[in-house]
Amino acid sequence: MALQDYRAMMERCSNCAGCKFIPFDKVKSLRFAENCPSIGYYNFMTYSARGRFQLSQSLLDGRAELDDTITNAIHACTSCGYCDIGCKITRYNLEPLEHNIEQKAYAVENGKVLEGQKPVIENLKKEHSMIPGTKKANRTDWAKDLGLKDVFKDKADVCFFAGCKYSYDPKLQKVAQNAVKLLQSAGVDVGYLGAADNCCAGRAHQMGFFADFKDRANANIKAFETAGVTTIVTPCSDCYHAFKRQYPKLGSNVKVLHIVEYIDQLIQEGKIKFTKTVPMTVTYHDPCHLGRLGEPYVPWDGKEKKIFNQIQIWEPRRPRYNGIYGIYDAPRNILNAIPGVTLVEMERIREYSWCCGAGAACNESNPEFSAWTAGERVTEAKATGADALVTACPWCKDNFVNAVDENGNKMEVLDIIELVQQAI
Amino acid sequence: MAFPRELYKALEDIVGKENISENIGVCETYRCVPSQSSAHYGPTKNWTPRPQAVILPGSAEEVQNIVKICNKYGVEFKASTTFWSTMGYIGGDFALQIDLRRMKSIKIDAKNMHAVVEPYAIAATVQAEAMKVGLNLNIPGVGCSSSTLANFSTWVAFGPNSISMGYGNENVLGMEWVLPDGEIVRTGSLASDDGWFCGEGPGPSLRGIFRGAFGAAGSAGVCTKIAVRLHPWPGPADFPTYGLAPAYKADWGPNFKCYTLCFPDWKSWARSIQYFYESDIAYSGHRQFNMFGRNLKGAMIEIISNHERQLTDLEELVNDPYIKEQTEKMRHDYQVVIAGFTPKDMEYKEKAVDYILEQTGGWKSEMMLEKDKHDYALLYLTRLGHKNLNYVMCGAYEGVLGLTGNVWKAIEVADEATALKRKWETEHTSIAATGGDSAMGCLSGLGGGGTTGWEFFTNFDSYDKNSVEGTYAFVETTQALMNKYAFGPDFCRWNSDVRKMNGYNYTQEEQNEMFKKAAQPWVFIYQYKIREAINPKNLCGSYVRTLDPKALEE
Repeated sequence: MALQDYRAMMERCSNCAGCKFIPFDKVKSLRFAENCPSIGYYNFMTYSARGRFQLSQSLLDGRAELDDTITNAIHACTSCGYCDIGCKITRYNLEPLEHNIEQKAYAVENGKVLEGQKPVIENLKKEHSMIPGTKKANRTDWAKDLGLKDVFKDKADVCFFAGCKYSYDPKLQKVAQNAVKLLQSAGVDVGYLGAADNCCAGRAHQMGFFADFKDRANANIKAFETAGVTTIVTPCSDCYHAFKRQYPKLGSNVKVLHIVEYIDQLIQEGKIKFTKTVPMTVTYHDPCHLGRLGEPYVPWDGKEKKIFNQIQIWEPRRPRYNGIYGIYDAPRNILNAIPGVTLVEMERIREYSWCCGAGAACNESNPEFSAWTAGERVTEAKATGADALVTACPWCKDNFVNAVDENGNKMEVLDIIELVQQAI
Repeated sequence: MAFPRELYKALEDIVGKENISENIGVCETYRCVPSQSSAHYGPTKNWTPRPQAVILPGSAEEVQNIVKICNKYGVEFKASTTFWSTMGYIGGDFALQIDLRRMKSIKIDAKNMHAVVEPYAIAATVQAEAMKVGLNLNIPGVGCSSSTLANFSTWVAFGPNSISMGYGNENVLGMEWVLPDGEIVRTGSLASDDGWFCGEGPGPSLRGIFRGAFGAAGSAGVCTKIAVRLHPWPGPADFPTYGLAPAYKADWGPNFKCYTLCFPDWKSWARSIQYFYESDIAYSGHRQFNMFGRNLKGAMIEIISNHERQLTDLEELVNDPYIKEQTEKMRHDYQVVIAGFTPKDMEYKEKAVDYILEQTGGWKSEMMLEKDKHDYALLYLTRLGHKNLNYVMCGAYEGVLGLTGNVWKAIEVADEATALKRKWETEHTSIAATGGDSAMGCLSGLGGGGTTGWEFFTNFDSYDKNSVEGTYAFVETTQALMNKYAFGPDFCRWNSDVRKMNGYNYTQEEQNEMFKKAAQPWVFIYQYKIREAINPKNLCGSYVRTLDPKALEE
């Protein structure tokens, strides 16, 4: 698809505001009613999905140009995908998220990128990691001494894929190590890609760098095939989304599980047993790429057709991503199974969860916006009275750890694996 | 024409650099094509003009200072909130778009049963905050995604709850209003430092001047705060819902029922509505799902209330024997929400509904009593969070054959209007063929009953030139029927004499030409004099219909 291919959607958007608020049926307060970080921070209509549809028309028609302000507006979107969910509450034929990302790709094709994005993409190209400054040579340091099989040498039932953040961030490496140990102690035959371990490049796709995404994705798919990998387990929600939703478009058939799905399954099978009480009230943050964007990919090849003169339908039936089949219950099952833990919910959850602010590398390109977005979530988490904010994505965790609420206060932030570890 | 530097700098000094932009791309996103956002303009492919700058004030004082600067430099300005409607956009080349997004506070006064709200507080948020203290508000037909302040202060504001709560004019208790010349006026009891509790004072009302019956559509300065009346809410404070997106549902126990009541003909239909007026038992009343059309509504209800359904299923569902039968039974129908304040109250209201049906030969739709449909419709009508399903079938719609008036008068026209639209649906392909009758609207626009607010939804494709042009041709034909029955200008024309087809304002000369031929030109002269008094530089667009008395003398 190219930006021009979204013209019908641009002209059929009815400016209903669904892209800016949580589903109206779910609104419980003024404070937590909105759900687009981009317009939430920048305020101008331009930054909403509606504004982006309008902007694309103006760009394609030559009325607007890709100057610095517009380049920033295009990229200052975490690709969190909420606009897509909100839109689809009442519309069945618009794809705001796909359009937003295509608009970014249009900017990238025209050489319009943000300064903060350059080192991220350069590092991806050179070192196969989306964390600037990290080196390919150190990618698997975290896995030393874990006794992980190299799946190129020894077959394993599952291939553990840590992702960039767990691989390089010293604070998070321990979490990845504990995740592997947890699987091993539950009797899981687990391996990893060894020297072929690589970035999934999902964030490059979210940023509109399609060519860089495809390069890495194709390399990874080839590696999976060569090593005979059939099942991947990852603790990273961005990797999960990439493997689950984006890779199949390029031919990947590998089964993908997020670690929370696997742990939930192991708990249910009695292979993980909690022995300690963790007296704590927690609230859970649904990562965008595990939740609403974690729905399985369904292939579709069809076209629009009109019935009853002007009613637009897809022929054949097109998959409709409403976010409802994302991974929401598994992490909650885990938290509810840990003795002593009380789970309290925020107002914006599941398919209408608020974003952490780190998506599409906005933590690198637009750090103030990203920090504000994370701070909004910390404020919401604190409003529940919880002692800690738990999540299942390293990018979310990192952004929350560095964030403060509206009063300037921090909050304890835990990866769900850390909480599981405390109970064993 | 770009703003002079000293003008832009003066505006920037008021709100700060981050809250103003003259970037062309940014300003482009503050334009609209009326066929995308409708609100009774009529389909057109023209864009409204691009503003020279967009500004986001954070307080009434900032708005006042902006307006003063606009007066100093002769800049047209218009404020808007959610920008859903064409009427919120500027209509000139030397114009400033004011985006009130940053002003969204809500203060609930539970004791005195009102809320003081700023412009960007949408109805969903006002309702959510009000429900925490057992109160609710009238959410107009436009839905909860729209600004409560904009609806109540500058437009009509009737909807499902109007039958029990009244329409816009009946619910405004006080306003903080930046006049077009920059003066701030506070109305009602607020003006005498007695707070917001009463629209009629002590203190000047000015409600008639500011909003009248239909509102000035943002063309009389900027309203920065209003107090709206709140009404009792007997439901849960936290508004629980269940179900999967997009088909969320609500079960609030035995004291809430949503019925789709059906009747054998229009006469019994109208008589039943009169019973509802007299009995005061309806919490909400709306002919809602008929917006999908007489032939399609059963199938569409199945689609929207089931998270796995899609429009692709429509043809199959329309031909499903059970749905076909149920749809046929709902030919003359409407929805009511009955809310009991106590079990005894509910018992009484249930009996009253049954009595009305007995007296009129009506029945409750079986399909709409199925739990998933019932719970979907109850939530739909209470929050009006799915109102943008208006656009679901084709991406655009226009309301025609606006039968707003006495219910008996409206049904006189119903069959003829249905036949007219059906004929167009079968002879042309420009509008969706939904069955002719696609009339939707409230049982009463007025509190307690008295006037309907119907419009025939005409769905068309804003992306399809032929559909847009064909729809325009269709709306040309509906006026003749409206004239025949003395219903006045059709809905699709409500705003066609206040903004030109090319998206620009009318000049005074152009308005003079139109309104000097009006049956009662003095109305427009009166409005001209008011505008001269509060808006001497005529800076807010042409949505207030005015006639220069000199033109009439000529």
